[in-house]
Amino acid sequence: MAAPVIETHALGKTFGLTPVLQETEFKLSPGRGAIVIGGNGCGKSTLLSIFAGLVAPSEGYALVFGEDTRRFGPRYRRRIGMMSHQSFLYPNLSARENLEFYARLYEVSAPREVADSWLARLGLADCAGDRVRTFSRGMEQRLAAARATIHGPSLLLLDEPFAGLDPDGAARVRTLIKSALEEGCSIVATAHTPFAVEGIELEVYEIVRGQVVPWLEEDAPRRGRLRSLLRPRPS
Amino acid sequence: MSAFLAILRKDLMLELRGGRSTTALVSLALLVLVVLTFALDRSAGGGGPATAAGALWIALVFAGMLGATRVMVAEQENGCLRALLLSPVDRAILYAAKLTASTTFMIAAAGAATIMAMLFFNLEFSDSLATLAIALILGALGFSALATLLAAISIRARGGELLLPLLIVPLFVPALIAGVKASAAALSGAPLAAAREWVGILIAFDVLFIAAGYLLFEHVVGEE
Repeated sequence: MAAPVIETHALGKTFGLTPVLQETEFKLSPGRGAIVIGGNGCGKSTLLSIFAGLVAPSEGYALVFGEDTRRFGPRYRRRIGMMSHQSFLYPNLSARENLEFYARLYEVSAPREVADSWLARLGLADCAGDRVRTFSRGMEQRLAAARATIHGPSLLLLDEPFAGLDPDGAARVRTLIKSALEEGCSIVATAHTPFAVEGIELEVYEIVRGQVVPWLEEDAPRRGRLRSLLRPRPS
Repeated sequence: MSAFLAILRKDLMLELRGGRSTTALVSLALLVLVVLTFALDRSAGGGGPATAAGALWIALVFAGMLGATRVMVAEQENGCLRALLLSPVDRAILYAAKLTASTTFMIAAAGAATIMAMLFFNLEFSDSLATLAIALILGALGFSALATLLAAISIRARGGELLLPLLIVPLFVPALIAGVKASAAALSGAPLAAAREWVGILIAFDVLFIAAGYLLFEHVVGEE
């Protein structure tokens, strides 16, 4: 059996006195997709930031590609793509310039051609030369999806990828997720509620009391009622 | 190398489009020089090369602080710094690119400030301008090396913009003295040999600040 892409052990993160994640155990196999759901402030973004090596765990550890995220080097970072709440795009650069810049950072060959092909794929070819400053939230989100995947990552971390998207944009991002999974990429996405990608089986987890637990549909109504009671409080 | 060039090209492109750093640097340098020109009493010997050198460096230090902060603040917008940290680019390359961009803006401001200082203080354009250029370039490089590192700390701290001058000025004072002395020698028409010791001190501080930035930048911008 192939080694997991992500594996955590007793993972915890505390901001000040507020525990966000506690004793979290999570595992993701290569080529699999997982959705982590939960309410605002439950720790979804923190979890993805730990996987990306941007946030250090307070307790326990997270192994991504078998490497502790605290010791992530360029070799590991190259294999990760991340889509965050923030678009990571420069407002005063055009859509093409932004993608070309990131393609060069990841040493993608023929960066301009690759940027143009991604712009076409996400329906942004007509505004390739427009500055991102002029983009709507949805257009920026689509461009952010292209930015996250332009270098062909092995692990894609998507923080609420459908936020602010219209149906067409959501369908394009859904297609992007599907093709990434079909190409063998592993995906962890966060959302407030589970979502489906046609023809793809996704594992669904929920963050409850700072822990990532498998989500069971039949438990959802009960969880909803208890969520306020279960939310971690400052110790 | 391609990542270094990509970041530098992007920073210069953003600056050419926005022009906020260089415009602010030149405006600030102009303001300082105008105030000092009128404040100093020339009849009491207050408008000589030494005063001009002091005025020039005051302008440069203020302008440099602004420039270095802008280069880092640009990465804060839309969380772009996180994307750079997530990319496979070595932190030292990121620092080198930021340092080069910041130094370029500061040298552009220094060029404009020098011309203004020569005009306001009625100094002669002579061969010793080469010595002045060396002192200013070395000063800009050292200041940018220190400011880029400290700006990376200050942008992550609450009230960081207030923190930057408090951190940078005391650390830069020895290099500042050397820069003023070398510039004063140059503006009074002395040859490079007369300013050699001061230029040597500037080079030493440049090496120190660049080495510190190279070694510490990774830890300053590292994981939260």
